[in-house]
Amino acid sequence: MNEFLEFAAVVMGIFISFCMYTTLYGKPNPLRSWAEFSYLGAGTGVSVVIGLTYIWNTAILGMQAGDWILIFSILFGLMMLFRVHPTYGYISRLPLAFTVGTGLALSLRTQIFTAFIRQINATIVKLWTNVPLEFVYRVTIAVSVITILTFFLYTMELSGPLFWTSRVGEYLMYIGFGAIFAQTFMGRLGLFVGYMESLTTPTWKTPYTLASALICLIAAILFDRTGLGEKLSAG
Amino acid sequence: MSSFFKSRSAQITVLIVSFLLVFIPYFIPWGPLDWLSGKLMTIAAVTNAFTIVIAVYSQFRRSGRFINERRKGWVYHIYLLALMAIMTLSGFIFGQHAGAYEWLLLAVVTPLSSVIYGILAFYMSSAGARAFRARSPHAALLLLAGFVVLMYQAPLTGAFFPGIEGAAVYLTDTFGMSVSRMFSISVSIGAIVLGVRMLTGKEVAFLGFGEGDE
Amino acid sequence: MADEGGIYKRMATYDKRWVYVALFIVVLGPLINPIGMPIGISAQTRHYKAELDTLQEGDIVFSTWNMEFSGYMELKPGVLATHKMFIEKGVKLCIAFGHFEGVALPPEIFKQLKKWTDDYDYTEGEDYIIIGYVFPNEAAVAALAGDFHANVRVDWRGESIEGTFLDEIQNGGDFAMISDYTTGLATTNIIRHIVLEYDTPMVVNSIGVSVPGHLANLDAGLITALLASTRGGAELEFLIGSPGPGLKSMDAFTFGHYSLIIFIIIGNIGHYGWTRRSGARDRTGIR
Repeated sequence: MNEFLEFAAVVMGIFISFCMYTTLYGKPNPLRSWAEFSYLGAGTGVSVVIGLTYIWNTAILGMQAGDWILIFSILFGLMMLFRVHPTYGYISRLPLAFTVGTGLALSLRTQIFTAFIRQINATIVKLWTNVPLEFVYRVTIAVSVITILTFFLYTMELSGPLFWTSRVGEYLMYIGFGAIFAQTFMGRLGLFVGYMESLTTPTWKTPYTLASALICLIAAILFDRTGLGEKLSAG
Repeated sequence: MSSFFKSRSAQITVLIVSFLLVFIPYFIPWGPLDWLSGKLMTIAAVTNAFTIVIAVYSQFRRSGRFINERRKGWVYHIYLLALMAIMTLSGFIFGQHAGAYEWLLLAVVTPLSSVIYGILAFYMSSAGARAFRARSPHAALLLLAGFVVLMYQAPLTGAFFPGIEGAAVYLTDTFGMSVSRMFSISVSIGAIVLGVRMLTGKEVAFLGFGEGDE
Repeated sequence: MADEGGIYKRMATYDKRWVYVALFIVVLGPLINPIGMPIGISAQTRHYKAELDTLQEGDIVFSTWNMEFSGYMELKPGVLATHKMFIEKGVKLCIAFGHFEGVALPPEIFKQLKKWTDDYDYTEGEDYIIIGYVFPNEAAVAALAGDFHANVRVDWRGESIEGTFLDEIQNGGDFAMISDYTTGLATTNIIRHIVLEYDTPMVVNSIGVSVPGHLANLDAGLITALLASTRGGAELEFLIGSPGPGLKSMDAFTFGHYSLIIFIIIGNIGHYGWTRRSGARDRTGIR
């Protein structure tokens, strides 16, 4: 891509981003609709190209290399498309049953280790340690996991010791949610800060960023005040 | 032939056979079965990839309805279909590293992808401002834990209050991690139960069978 | 009477769009005029760097970019700092995408790494190969893990990978390490089908949302190191002595966090000063 086209892509990208940010204004406007439909259209096009390229690279090139069993992948894939046919939709049941069966096997054969046994192992086995601080951590983790599980899994009315472990678990879970909320916010803020950083680096982008922000904000306000926003937007 | 596709028991048999052919070799290694299992995984991977075509068809149908009925915003749907066509044709004709495809990827897809997820930071901020109230002991605990971890995550705080790292790391590495572990264990139990129900024929809605179908 | 409340009422019911404007200002301001605040380094990041330091020249690392372009915005500091270490060490990279937007990443990333690739003569085809989008679903990950060359024959440009350093890779166990950059796409599948099966060490650079889940995996020994979000990437930049987008973002990061804390405090003061006193029903919907 030559320099001018690259420059145009960057400036267009900055402007269309702030068109999407006008969503925050809270009222419909055509800039936001344009940005949404642009992403839908272009994004779907990209996923089609990449998806079909994957099929070509894996199945077609595989068959060319002698792996003829992969013909079934093309066959099943085409049968899968009958899912949307009003009359012959039942043809898609075979590839569906096959892919679901395979997927079940793949997840069940490993999930029981990664999400169950190894997690329980890590909770209990590491409890026995000589390091005082680590012991405090391990006891907290063990007590938290067991009490939170008690609160979460038992959906019937509890009494006796189970009731109290469940209550403790409830409070510990809220502490955990507080920590998770903070980490989630860090993640979302990181996304936003990272993108703003890319819009201000190198520094020649900064005036375009500020100008686009201002133009889009003024446009959103004008569209709202004149009532044209509702008329010209998609919904 | 169509009776095979319409038969519930036949499809469940296919489900079970494909399950066993991939599940068993993991625990009982045997050359030919390992080879077949690998090929079945590749076939399943490619078959699943075809579903993108169904997604595109659905979008065409939806946009077509909007355009035919001249519903609000129908012009945008014409624009959407045109852009989709340009992107797809350009990608296949000129390749993924040239032409309109590459330009639109840089000018439209990547910036908007960044914005769509980055906007959540604003929603979280306004949600935190409006809904995060210490109305009960639970909410107060949540708020306190969140406050400590938020303060630690701001790099400047650690420079003035080094002790906050210990408190925040304790909260995230114990309570926060325990909640995730609990979700992980619960979800895996649920997935195993659902898997067993599918294999025993109790859950067949995904195949398009109703309750009374045979 | 119910309308009285003055400043407390304003604190409880202000227009949420002022929050948005404030967030824009506190983030854009420090990015345009960096202040350069200090940053502490966590034990977790030091451990991540120590794991990368175990790599030797010629080791083949599976670099899995399980992120959309938006996720790259958050993980950029960690991605760039880690790849700088790979280039300096002379590690060979096999780069795969877990999302269709991944195709836009290599030009962006290698443009930022140009100085390193030029200085160390690190070239595509010889030192790194991009195999493209190969993780559309779990079955694809499992198939690739079991038989690499039966599932990957060409790179992302359609050129054959035969005769390259990837000839040494038969399955997932032949990689010296997996270096994963994730928003949560194929990472769990990679852990299940490569790490669990072949014991391949795996280091993860994760977005903030997924950090609690990956902490559980780290504790269970399923992954060997974790780099958390933009902050972790900034710490790694500091440790390797190569300031970049992460350290530049830390001022904005600090102000963004403090602004949320201030909004929460203001909201709670308003809640206790007006909503509860006036007996009015709690309103969380602001105009």
